Amino acid sequence: MLKGKASISAWLQPLLAILIGLIGGAIAILLIGGSVFDTYAQMWKGAFGNFYFFTNTLTRATPLLLVGLGVSIAFRAGFFNMGSEGQMILGAFTSALIALYFPGTPLFKLLAAMLGGILVGGLWSAFAGWLDARFRMNLIITTLLLNYIASLFAGYMVAYPLKDKTGSAALAQTMMVDKSVWLPKLFPGMSIHAGFIIAIVLAVALFLFIKYSSGGYEIRMLGYNPLFAAYGGVNRGRLMLYSMFASGGFAGLAGAVEVLGMQYRYTDGMVTNPGYAWSGIMATLLSGAHPLGTAVASVLLAALQTGGMGVERNTSIPLEISSVIQSLLILFITAKFGLGLWKRRKGGNSDAASS
Amino acid sequence: MLLQMNQITKTYGTLTANAKVDFTLREGEIHALVGENGAGKTTLMRMLYGMEQPTSGTIHMHDKTVAFANPTDAIRHGIGMVHQHFMLFPSFTVAENIVIGNEPHGVKFDRKKAALQVEALCATYKLPIDPLKKVADCPLGMQQRVEILKVLYQGADIIILDEPTGVLTPLEAKELLAIMKSLAAQGKSFIIITHKLHEVMEVADRITVLRDGKVTGTLDAAATNVEELSRLMVGRELAKTERSVLSPGATVLEVKGVSIAGKKGKPVLDRVSFQVKAGEIVGIAGISGNGQSELLQSISGLTTIDQGEIRLLGKDVAGRSVREIRESGLSHIPEDRYQWGAAKEGTVLENGTMGHHRTNRRYGLLQGKALRAMVDRFIQQFEIKARSQETKVKFLSGGNVQKLIVAREIAQNKPFLIAAEPTRGVDIGAMELIHDELLKKRDEQGAILLVSSELTEILKLSDRILVMYEGRIAGELPASEATEEQISLWMAGGEAHA
Repeated sequence: MLKGKASISAWLQPLLAILIGLIGGAIAILLIGGSVFDTYAQMWKGAFGNFYFFTNTLTRATPLLLVGLGVSIAFRAGFFNMGSEGQMILGAFTSALIALYFPGTPLFKLLAAMLGGILVGGLWSAFAGWLDARFRMNLIITTLLLNYIASLFAGYMVAYPLKDKTGSAALAQTMMVDKSVWLPKLFPGMSIHAGFIIAIVLAVALFLFIKYSSGGYEIRMLGYNPLFAAYGGVNRGRLMLYSMFASGGFAGLAGAVEVLGMQYRYTDGMVTNPGYAWSGIMATLLSGAHPLGTAVASVLLAALQTGGMGVERNTSIPLEISSVIQSLLILFITAKFGLGLWKRRKGGNSDAASS
Repeated sequence: MLLQMNQITKTYGTLTANAKVDFTLREGEIHALVGENGAGKTTLMRMLYGMEQPTSGTIHMHDKTVAFANPTDAIRHGIGMVHQHFMLFPSFTVAENIVIGNEPHGVKFDRKKAALQVEALCATYKLPIDPLKKVADCPLGMQQRVEILKVLYQGADIIILDEPTGVLTPLEAKELLAIMKSLAAQGKSFIIITHKLHEVMEVADRITVLRDGKVTGTLDAAATNVEELSRLMVGRELAKTERSVLSPGATVLEVKGVSIAGKKGKPVLDRVSFQVKAGEIVGIAGISGNGQSELLQSISGLTTIDQGEIRLLGKDVAGRSVREIRESGLSHIPEDRYQWGAAKEGTVLENGTMGHHRTNRRYGLLQGKALRAMVDRFIQQFEIKARSQETKVKFLSGGNVQKLIVAREIAQNKPFLIAAEPTRGVDIGAMELIHDELLKKRDEQGAILLVSSELTEILKLSDRILVMYEGRIAGELPASEATEEQISLWMAGGEAHA
């Protein structure tokens, strides 16, 4: 019974945050003179209205989910990985290069491109972990700053040495990957691709890993109390590098999947402009770093974005209404975390009295 | 009668903290209030001090009914309280701390006058202290004196002391008891909350015992003894711990010349050497902060040493990882259960699993069934009160968390066990159980290194006693020759006797 109660309250807070976000959005809609009901109806239609829109939402959720899973690993181990964007960019960029320039059969190239994305994203993230372990550089700051290096580096590479000069468009992007190396679409004519399946399978796998494996146990304990983990014989430094690598690896895979399943090339800004990585981090926070919850939250956040596009198509309300709702969500999730922290601190003082 | 508390009841929801408690205090009396953790001692005193309001019942002073809405009210009626954790401002002087809330002032705070007033106060009560010294520079015993002077300055006739000797050295504790007696002779009345029965017997005139929120007896100290008091506290006869005589076996732990350099040139550990043999409990006595923590962390691999050798079962383990050392034969009850020993956000099951997760796994997966069965055994054997294995440890009382940790570490079944402050802050029942388990472990040829700041615990359990002072082993004695006086002397830095 207690367990049931706990899981209800675990759901209650994010649901409350979403509700408040929607109410805030409604106020914004009223302020600019729109109809709340109409707008939300259009938003629902844009996100889930028919099979095409629905699968489109799932496609958009795919990178969010992969990034979110990565962040949740680090988060569970007690580390903030704010570098998902850079890791995803490098993953996308690397996989595009491998798919373009590697020799071998198409299947081999596809697998190598995905693995390469994971590896580079993981190393970029583990590098930040190493800086923390070796030089005590704050992880939040290094991961955040490494985003810029990754983004500008990849941007330069596609603007100059690796720029696609075959087309007429003067975009900063690589050449297009050969069709044989693409991730297959799940339905003809729909945007949804095999990357979505990969993401869902990994979400379930990660859930099982965290819950049932010995490594998952160590990660959880490290996140709860690093000193307790150290006392129990968990090697904090090593486990941090592992979890940071895994965390970045997921982000790198998100980039690879976006290239191989959607864009078929690396284009400057393809990760930063839609804000994939930050939405993914949000999905993790919204779900309290629960892998399956992250999947639900990713779809929800993707729906806000695809729904927002629907709103813009069919009403006079601008796309930014989605951003309003999202920002409110962030605000209230942060409040939830603040509250949790406050409770923890209070709890720390009341031990003596609780016997 | 100076003070009378009649039929005091305090309930929190369905929980009854105090049930129809009667308590009286005479002028010039030292009245001890004893009971296990959670028996309701502190609740009762919080009501007397105006921090809580009784659900029912009345308080009378000098035969007049009184009610205290807050501590200021209580102070105005001449009641003062010294809390277990001192409430002083370390960066201010003794005088400033004493006059706080009632400072002598013209236009601005008159520091000189404050110091003079404090000096006069010290002279009246014969409690010498330097009013201009910073509190941060005072040892704990002195800080407690400041607390008592603060209460006297506020004009208290009734002084409540909550666990006053918990943080003091044995010598400081003796001094405090002497101060109390002298103040009582000058007409002040004391209520002392404690669980140290020997102190109670030494200082108190009368004793009130609480159990589960009810008074189980109010006795004259002259007409009772420690055995009767503990029976009233626990509700049953405490079994006398039987110690079998064992001849120690092979050396399990050998520490040789271990040193750790400190920050100010004063070493944290200074050439510490000793051995622990199989079937032996070696107790390390000492006031906390004299290098015991660092010594234990060195042995368990949580910190690195600068010099020396640590051998566990003949293998040099200095500088090895915690995991390697644990696997070579160490289990460890850490000194601070919430800092090192548990994850408060984790469940009972998760906390009980630590260390066992390496032995109960297959293909990288935890064997949930076996682990759950194991933790069930912990819960039964150690009478751990938890709603279920899924309960978060932060909802358990300190004693139950400690029992869980002890159960977990004993179940590691390793030849060597570190037991650091194994019963700090737990009630008598849990203490008895933990002590019995430690002795059982020793009887099964386990080697145990016990570190405790409680002398009684050291004397009760150890076969051999070492005393640490300022990072050194100040003295060593077989338990049969140990006296409290000798150990206290070493603990306070007195010369080792020849």
